[in-house]
Amino acid sequence: MKTIKIIALILGLCFTFSCEDQLNVVPEDNVASNTVFGSLATINGAVVGIYSKNQSGDLNGMPQLISEFMSDNVNFVGSFPALQDIDQFETLATNGSIDNIWIDAYELIGAANNIIVNLPDVSTEDVTGLTEADKARFVGEAKFLRALTYLRLVNHFAQPFQFNGGSNLGVPIIAMPFEGGDISEFQLERSTVNQVHSFIEQDLLDAIASLPADNGERAESGAARALLARLYLLREQWTEAADFANQVITSGEYSLAANYDFYDDNPTSSEHIFVVINTPTDGPQDESVPGSDEVYVNFFNPAPGGRGDAPFSQDLIDAFAAEPGDRRFDELSQAASDAGGNDTFFTTKYPDIVNNASDGMELRITEMYLIRAEANFRNGSSVGDTPLNDINMLRNRAGLGDLGTVDLDAIALERRKELCFEGHRRMDLLRNNLNLRPGGGPESAPGANKVIFPIIDDEIVNNPNITQNPGSF
Amino acid sequence: MKVQKLFGTLFMLLLTTVAMSQEKTITGTVIDQTGVPLPGVNIVVEGTSNGTQTDFDGNYAITGNVGQVLLFTYLGQKSERRTIGASNVIDLQMEEDAQALQEVVVIGYGNQEERKIIQNVGIVKQEAIENLQVVSADQLLQGQSAGTQIVNASGVLGSAAVIRVRGVNSINSGSQPLIVIDGVPITDTAGNTLNRGGNTGINPLSFVNPNDIESLTVLKDAGATSIYGSRGANGVILITTKRGRKGENTTVTLDVSTQFSQSTDVPDILTADEFRQFKSDIATIQNGGVFVSPEDLGLGAIGSGGTDWLGGVQRTGISQNYNLGARGGSEKTSFFFGLDFQDTEGFIIGNDQQRAGARINIDTQVNDWLKAGMNLGITNNRLNRVGIENNINAPFTTAFLQSPVVPAFDDEGNFVQSGSFIPNIFARVALNTDEVKTFRVIGNAFTEITPLPGLTWRSEFGIDKLNLEEFVRQAEFNTPGGLAQQIWVNEDRWLTNQTINYSNTFNNDHTLTVLAGLNYEETLRTRSNVSSTGFLTDDLRNLGSGATPQVLNGDRFPSRLFGLFSRVSYDYKGKYLVEGSIRRDGSSRFGANNRFGYFWSAAAGWVLSEESFIQDLNFFDYLSFRASIGTVGNDRLGTFPSLGLFNAGGFGDYNGESGVVPARRPANPDLKWEESETLDIGLKSTFLNGRVNFNMAYFKKTTSDLLLNQILPPGTGFNSISRNVGEMENRGWEFELSTVNVRTENFEWRTNFNLTTIDNEVLALNEDAATDPQGRRIIDGPIQRAIEGESLNNFFLIRYVGINPQTGDAEWLDVNGNITNNPGSGDRVVTGSPLPDFSGGMTNTFTYKGFDLSVLMNYSYGNEVVIDGLRFADGNDAIGGIVNVRRQNLNFWRQPGDNAFLPSPNSSTFDLFNQRSSQQQLDASYLRIKNVTLGYNLPQSALDRLGGLFTGVRFYLTGTNLLTIKADEMDGIDPEVTDDIDPLFQGESFFTAPQAKLYSFGARLTF
Repeated sequence: MKTIKIIALILGLCFTFSCEDQLNVVPEDNVASNTVFGSLATINGAVVGIYSKNQSGDLNGMPQLISEFMSDNVNFVGSFPALQDIDQFETLATNGSIDNIWIDAYELIGAANNIIVNLPDVSTEDVTGLTEADKARFVGEAKFLRALTYLRLVNHFAQPFQFNGGSNLGVPIIAMPFEGGDISEFQLERSTVNQVHSFIEQDLLDAIASLPADNGERAESGAARALLARLYLLREQWTEAADFANQVITSGEYSLAANYDFYDDNPTSSEHIFVVINTPTDGPQDESVPGSDEVYVNFFNPAPGGRGDAPFSQDLIDAFAAEPGDRRFDELSQAASDAGGNDTFFTTKYPDIVNNASDGMELRITEMYLIRAEANFRNGSSVGDTPLNDINMLRNRAGLGDLGTVDLDAIALERRKELCFEGHRRMDLLRNNLNLRPGGGPESAPGANKVIFPIIDDEIVNNPNITQNPGSF
Repeated sequence: MKVQKLFGTLFMLLLTTVAMSQEKTITGTVIDQTGVPLPGVNIVVEGTSNGTQTDFDGNYAITGNVGQVLLFTYLGQKSERRTIGASNVIDLQMEEDAQALQEVVVIGYGNQEERKIIQNVGIVKQEAIENLQVVSADQLLQGQSAGTQIVNASGVLGSAAVIRVRGVNSINSGSQPLIVIDGVPITDTAGNTLNRGGNTGINPLSFVNPNDIESLTVLKDAGATSIYGSRGANGVILITTKRGRKGENTTVTLDVSTQFSQSTDVPDILTADEFRQFKSDIATIQNGGVFVSPEDLGLGAIGSGGTDWLGGVQRTGISQNYNLGARGGSEKTSFFFGLDFQDTEGFIIGNDQQRAGARINIDTQVNDWLKAGMNLGITNNRLNRVGIENNINAPFTTAFLQSPVVPAFDDEGNFVQSGSFIPNIFARVALNTDEVKTFRVIGNAFTEITPLPGLTWRSEFGIDKLNLEEFVRQAEFNTPGGLAQQIWVNEDRWLTNQTINYSNTFNNDHTLTVLAGLNYEETLRTRSNVSSTGFLTDDLRNLGSGATPQVLNGDRFPSRLFGLFSRVSYDYKGKYLVEGSIRRDGSSRFGANNRFGYFWSAAAGWVLSEESFIQDLNFFDYLSFRASIGTVGNDRLGTFPSLGLFNAGGFGDYNGESGVVPARRPANPDLKWEESETLDIGLKSTFLNGRVNFNMAYFKKTTSDLLLNQILPPGTGFNSISRNVGEMENRGWEFELSTVNVRTENFEWRTNFNLTTIDNEVLALNEDAATDPQGRRIIDGPIQRAIEGESLNNFFLIRYVGINPQTGDAEWLDVNGNITNNPGSGDRVVTGSPLPDFSGGMTNTFTYKGFDLSVLMNYSYGNEVVIDGLRFADGNDAIGGIVNVRRQNLNFWRQPGDNAFLPSPNSSTFDLFNQRSSQQQLDASYLRIKNVTLGYNLPQSALDRLGGLFTGVRFYLTGTNLLTIKADEMDGIDPEVTDDIDPLFQGESFFTAPQAKLYSFGARLTF
């Protein structure tokens, strides 16, 4: 009997000691923060992660959808109150759809900052296979994606450059990664639009210097040049805009696609300068919705499969109807009923309703021709080619005949028909001092309080230094 | 049986007379303490195999020699010894054995005599539950025990009830109690199945057959729960399954029943023609009186048909239950064996469940120092799921909202598309598959070694193995290209409990019990979630046939727990009792800087009924006071809450390249459990010859170190950091009263009543929390707001007043209480609470001869619910006006003086009417007749006529949810709702499918 007792005690004691060691359990499906810069694979992984963030529907998809229905391209008939509020220019700072855009943007910026700030200090001697060229390229990619995101933020959360010559408030410029320390360095006041624009400009100039001309489907120097051309157009720096657009056109890396087959899962088309590639497997995922999280695809497509919330507006239908035979309508639209049961048309630019994995149009060569044409026209120059030739080239692809002359309206109309549903329309109207809605009232007029987004509530509550946009949010 | 016994006795008598004629025959009569003859008393001559039993009249005869000792034994009576002397007659009055009759109650890691318990435990014994016909074990607890609130979220099969022991004790971590089945704490991960709205994840309590349950013990105060340490804060429910008794004849029970299931109550919505008329009337008024026909609105002509969606998603579900139980034992070994099969049809189309289960419990006394045994329960479950709540695949929600003019079928009877994002739900249910198969084994094996009297070493090895497979196949009609999805989850826990228990009584007065033990658990959850799209035809069913297969999840979540614990109880003459316990828990979930936590409790009790001055009153059969204080923890924080991580897989990948992105939460190595400190004071009493039992308790539970998410400035790129900073208090009273109201020879009426009040107060939120205009810290949600200094759960809405009979405008109150026609979010105030002022249950049991009737009611008073879906089902404009509405919407304002439900169609408030406000907040007080069971047991004479084949035959009829008394405004809406187990969303629902109204009949045969 005694023996049993003693054995029991010993067994019990052994258990005590061995069990405590068992409590150190490590995750099997995540990488701890301190090991990310340990290998070339994980460093590349951290850069790929920024692209993955950029590909989230809240950063690429929803902002475009919202821009289209805030302006006159889409007639929003959906039932989500957060989107209805934006549509009716009654947006509040607590709006859940806007929240995600701001938060995802700064998550991406944080991930990019991590590379931009920390990677240069990583010694190539410590990481097998890592070269200085790799480091420069990785930092260049991070800067391009950071610039792209800052431009998206400043376009949506601040009045455009035209409002006050860019001296109005933009967004806070965060250039450091958060590593658990003092949060006050991340509670910054908003920089002005000009300051944000010049931060973006610097990032893009650095990216142009360090990115290769061909970097597969990742960001390359042409993409940074193209984005810079877009920035200059928004800032009305016509010479620079025409120049950079022309640099992209003449680089030989890209050319106008013969037809419109580049929308559906064709990222290697010569049309694309930088495309957001969505695949069924790249998440981030909601476990109950297989496929990618590009839910905006649902909005742009009718039932079944889609929600049927974002059909063509009558104004856009009329614009195409004014000149029949436009392949951009005939080949890129479908007739169906919308969520409200009305017969209308839907775009087919985002056709993958099975997996929501349609690619996001970011920068394509057509936009460069449109920028060059507009900038040249406004500047009275013909860098690369004349505005008339550029516009006629796009019209011919659409199956339309040549124009004899072009004016600003003709360029703007071509721009609208070409880029509709790609998220450009709202900024095009605002920068041209046009009301967002045909016959629209003061609420949708340029400079109105709610043609831009409020700074989100989470930022207001957690950042004592931030300033809200004017208007009752 | 009795006849056999009689023969046996006579035969024995003859035998002994013949064989031992030289000895003398002793005869006598055995009676009990009240003088009634005791039949069946065992009498043996000690040291021989010579024995007999008393007959019906308590008489016996046995032979023996002078000087030999007769041993009289009878269950529940004190054994007696009589030495054979000169007399040939030995009569005996036996005495009740108080010790043996003492009910023993299961507590954490042990048992205790009920009268010596100074922990606060709610005990649900077999007699309270044996006649309840329920689908899962959580329903056994409803209304039965004070302080335990069960909210059955809906009548959907497989949905988990929200179980709260003494209110909500957490904000961001889990609030469900720990469930322990025969010593095995079971896993209850909610995310193992796909989210289909509401609590339709798999109910952890559906894995034990209710018919196998002997008793349930709810551990409530720290005195009872602190032995479970870091997992005790939400209370602990101990489930004990049936065991055999040694030396008992084997009884076999076969229970067969059939059940019919319907919905309790559904909203009254418009028919197709009413809908057309309604829309036409409104459009006409809005058109300045110029007639607008339904055809003009695209709704088709009056009389052109439509669809009764709500009727079409309901049915009368028919279910079959078969249950077989056998229990018995020999001198050394006892067993229980259970087998059950349930084939259940829900009252919602597409919702079915088949469950088969088996259980075997065996104990054996190997020798005088070793006992060994095993409990093993196996369940196999197949469930066809449907969505609920805010989910377009939810039959009830979609049937409420789908326009009645939308056809479901074309002329040839084929499904047609609805034309909007609200799908043709008939097609979804008929063509899609959503099936969950689970296989679960819960059991343990134990040995008990008694090296010395009073010292026991119990060694348990347990397992909880869950195997789950969910298969989804969406048809081409519903999802272009089709979709298949399959999820496999393996959640395995193995554990060991090693306890040493020493119990002894010194000098007859001092009883000491010491328990020391360790508990080690390892849990590993493994998940694969794969889907595939792009199917050529619906006939190709499985993942491999789709064009685009993808792995959505493939991951493993390990966690480990190691605890050392001890409990010491001491009592003096069963009169003064003290008890203390301590536990040290280490958990892999806690941060590296806070890996181990200590939890303790101290309790004292005084059994006044053992004092002579109380006994002199001749009133109390039992009276005791007790108090306890102690701490417990809550470890429901997730698997790796303290680490800073980069996410990989789908989160970080891009264009086929692997990537990583920072998770939204930075590291916090200080993270630890939430800790609750509970004070509990109670009284227990029995009086009027045991006819009245009254217990009451007061408790105050302060939870500190509440895990709150400190929101980080978005500029950091992180969402929030979890810190242990909050503090919350729950306090309340619990009352339990059970009475025997009438007791005559043939008729008995018993009542059990319980009532609980709970007040919740948030004492502290994090310093950087959002604040309201009064400067109080808050956690804000769209419907509720938690406010520091007030309850965690407050509905925080714009106050809706009604329709002004003169103007036809809808009116609300602004924040200052003035009427407004255009309120904003700044006008939100506290409008109600989802937490009841008091709640509880009452059971009345009547028995008359062979009949018994029991009526179980439960109630809740003073709480509200918000039915968010009414924003769509009321008013004219939701989702562009395409959705159906409730019938009261026909009552819109037409002229001054109208007491209307809806504003004037010309009012500026017409489309604002259904915005979120207290209009959707409804009074959820209710009294529900939860269960009525009428049974009839065949009398002995009838059993005899059946040839003695059965020892018992019982027929019964049961009705569940027969009647609910509730406010008028709750017409068509179930008051017992909540669509989320998250503590911050209690009492909110979009559209809960109603509870099931069940009728069943059956028979129970005992052999």
